[in-house]
Amino acid sequence: MGEQWAFYFDANKCIGCHACTVACKNQNDLDPESATWRRVVQSGQGEFPDYEEISVSISCMHCEDPPCETVCPTGAIEKRDSDGIVTVNRDKCIGCHYCAWSCPYGAPKFDGDNKMQKCHMCLGKGAGEGYGSPAKKHEDDGGEKPACVDTCVGGALKAGPMDELTKEATEDAVNRATKRKGNVIIETGGPTVTFESESD
Amino acid sequence: MSNSTSTTNESDGSRIERRTFLKGSAAAALSAGIGGAGVSQVVQGSTESEAGSDGWVASGTCWDCHQLCGQRVRMKNGTAVELKGVDGHPRGSPGEGREGRLCSKAHAQIEKAYDPHRIKEPYVRKDGELQKASWEEAFQVAADKLATFKDEHGPEKLLMAEGYDTDDMWKHLIMDIYGSPNKVGHKTICHGPWSYTWDWMGGRGRPAPDHKNSEYIISWGRNLLEAFNGQWEPMGILDAIEENDATLVTIDPRYTKTAQHSDEWLPIEPRTDGALALAMANVIIEEGLYDEDFVENYTYGFNELRQQVSDKTPEWAAEITDIDATKIRKVARGFAEAAPNCYATVWTGITNQSNGQKNAQNIHVLNGLVGNLDRPGGLRYWESPVDLADPYEVQGVEFPSNQDGRSQPLSDYEEYPFHHVRGLAHAQFPEAVENGDVAGAFMYWFSPLKNSNTQDWIEALEEMDLLIAIDAYWNGMTRRADVVFPESSQLEKPMLGAGGSGSYSTQGWVTGSKAAIEPQWDTKPGFDILKGLAEAMGYGEYVPWDSKEEKINDALSGMGLTLDELDEKNYVIQGEYGYESWKEDGFDTATGKFEFVLDNVEDYAAAAEQAGISTAPEYVPPEKFGQMPDEEYPLDFTDAFVEQISRGGDQTLDHSRQLLAERWGLDHKDYRGNYLLLNPDDAEPRGIEDGDMVTVESPEGSISLMAHVTEGIKPGYTATTLGWGKGSITPNEEGGNSMMLHNADQIEPISGQVARHIKVEVTKGGDA
Repeated sequence: MGEQWAFYFDANKCIGCHACTVACKNQNDLDPESATWRRVVQSGQGEFPDYEEISVSISCMHCEDPPCETVCPTGAIEKRDSDGIVTVNRDKCIGCHYCAWSCPYGAPKFDGDNKMQKCHMCLGKGAGEGYGSPAKKHEDDGGEKPACVDTCVGGALKAGPMDELTKEATEDAVNRATKRKGNVIIETGGPTVTFESESD
Repeated sequence: MSNSTSTTNESDGSRIERRTFLKGSAAAALSAGIGGAGVSQVVQGSTESEAGSDGWVASGTCWDCHQLCGQRVRMKNGTAVELKGVDGHPRGSPGEGREGRLCSKAHAQIEKAYDPHRIKEPYVRKDGELQKASWEEAFQVAADKLATFKDEHGPEKLLMAEGYDTDDMWKHLIMDIYGSPNKVGHKTICHGPWSYTWDWMGGRGRPAPDHKNSEYIISWGRNLLEAFNGQWEPMGILDAIEENDATLVTIDPRYTKTAQHSDEWLPIEPRTDGALALAMANVIIEEGLYDEDFVENYTYGFNELRQQVSDKTPEWAAEITDIDATKIRKVARGFAEAAPNCYATVWTGITNQSNGQKNAQNIHVLNGLVGNLDRPGGLRYWESPVDLADPYEVQGVEFPSNQDGRSQPLSDYEEYPFHHVRGLAHAQFPEAVENGDVAGAFMYWFSPLKNSNTQDWIEALEEMDLLIAIDAYWNGMTRRADVVFPESSQLEKPMLGAGGSGSYSTQGWVTGSKAAIEPQWDTKPGFDILKGLAEAMGYGEYVPWDSKEEKINDALSGMGLTLDELDEKNYVIQGEYGYESWKEDGFDTATGKFEFVLDNVEDYAAAAEQAGISTAPEYVPPEKFGQMPDEEYPLDFTDAFVEQISRGGDQTLDHSRQLLAERWGLDHKDYRGNYLLLNPDDAEPRGIEDGDMVTVESPEGSISLMAHVTEGIKPGYTATTLGWGKGSITPNEEGGNSMMLHNADQIEPISGQVARHIKVEVTKGGDA
């Protein structure tokens, strides 16, 4: 396998502005009503005045062992050997939503055509674009940064090979990512963040 | 409208509600860790234009919150499809060699350009109905109506109301040439109590902070990381936290996105900020933490200040503000110890208060005490050292001053203390119409129905003989206009701006762009509208350019630049200037010094005397001028800004409304209006749950909107965002217009600004 690509998110730098969401929508020409690939979750805990809240930007985790791939009856979902990015072949997708039910993070989305679409780290522009495309290239090698990363006002989001990102992250955050088997490192200080799938 | 984020079959009526926060654990919980070490890495992005007509070949200068962040525009078959930031941009990046970014409002400019809700062609009122018209006809009708109006009423009965223009010809046309002396802009709806006061005290009304060099930041009644004035602000603050280990303090009864990143959140009793500031001044003076040299040599009124605050201890303030005395001392010391690389900055949290003038004065006292004015990391006295030419001068255009000698209505309305300071104020405009002092208005990007006493304003708009509007959206104002000129959005017109505040602390800059796309539908840029109107009125010689590009090129000629070159670069840095301007020039104030006490400011002294307050710092309690909660209306209500909707101009954008719903975890509901934030202590006794529709009632009226129950707001206080519901641009007027609850008596008496704290009762149930 080639390098495993991953996201890095630092809640200390996220100002909760949703620019990532809108940049993703514009780049991939999404219907925001039904197909938000990246969203910002506000998570709070405590009682006034000892209340705290963080913003977390979340999309597909490009898991080590993606449950969506496991349950897909048509083999439309593929975790690529070349870069570890999880992509979908929309020609094969039959819209059964098994992937959405199995994903703990609510990443698979559907719009009018009822075919699965989700984050592909901007391997291309648009739904299903990642499938069968060449390996993700680093911006140093002429690749494009994912739109969300490119626009992040606070510099909270990064994308790159996992090995590169783990060097920048705290040990705790890396351990959490390893435990989750998701290729997203999340630095948080404060409230617990939970995600939902269609099965919640 | 379906807003379900899940995709279950809705035909059977079942819907799964998505929860963004589950109490308890879930399979995918991230356990809370101690805040990780932030990582800062500068990656050089590239914004090289590709050849050809597709790709990143066009530029923009964002105008969604009017702060000019630089944009690159990706084109596809003549359509703008995507935006990205410009590296090193003074407003849209943290500075030289740093990446340019865009916030969600900027990205929304794509949706705005193609927004079907926009006014698509000119309209003229015929037989009582607004009807589509050609541009030529609309110009002529407006010119004829303005001429008739002048004959019948005189130009002084026409009001000029301006929000955020993209061409300055309106003021020459309507004021200098036509002769109207009346203008209302932002000073009585946004920042008057602050900008007048700080101008009197320090010669600068709204000095933007030098964020990135700061070590102690007090965001006081201001939501710096959400309602920012250009992205350089949050970027600079995050830099200061990371590079300088800066402390961030939020003083706000709401837990804001700024509070998320703050070391201290002080949920103050609303409108008692003046008491907190005096107690901090007491600590700073009593403990000798002030800047002795600055106070001694560059300030006026220190001894009187010292006397005023001698008994204003943190314990005294704790009773009033509900902020612990220990915390008050801690923040006062931290602030003073970081001086001069510190600042306390304010905005609408303070200015929307009936006692906002004195509160703003007391807060600025702190900046003066620690001497942070025009010093690194303090409140910068920004200049714009760029050689832009005056395009009118280049063309030899000189304007008459036909408004001279004509007085504004209300300038002799002696019952208002503010008549010593200014003429017209926003909330008193309907009164002027009723009294026959105003009979018409020219409104340019101005939406009065969301800004004060909506019910009076609706009557005033109905009653006026003439109403001409330049805008992009249908709302309660444009629907009542006699002539409606639809202006294009930012990507459809050339832009130019210069500064000034931004991520270059000691240099000036100019930024601008050509139109990325053609004007959509049958709309025109502001310049073209004003030129067409000027020609129809017989004043064509004052607009000697055929296009805005020509006018911009005349301005840029002073720098030896062309718009083509600027479009390519997007911005140019020029000129150098230092800090501490007051050392050489003194302060632009009555005494030439920074003034703690304002007895030398004649206008203010007269207004203060009439209002029954001192010219010195003192505590003016909210009940002196404002409404207080009582048995019938037990809650204090106000409105505020929110990221996704900017200053209230994005409510037509589906995605912006969707993001706001998502922000409160209520996107599984069909409702897409504004939300009322309520503490559980106030919600539970009223049987109100998160996501319920509620009715908010004041003595003046009532509105319906959706409740969001949160621990992130002080009990007894409730807030929403402005610009929704009746008279707004929101599709189907969804949501509640906060100013339906407001009446003209609720103003800050010194500046005439709208006071937005209103006593209300909230009940469960309301019209969805």
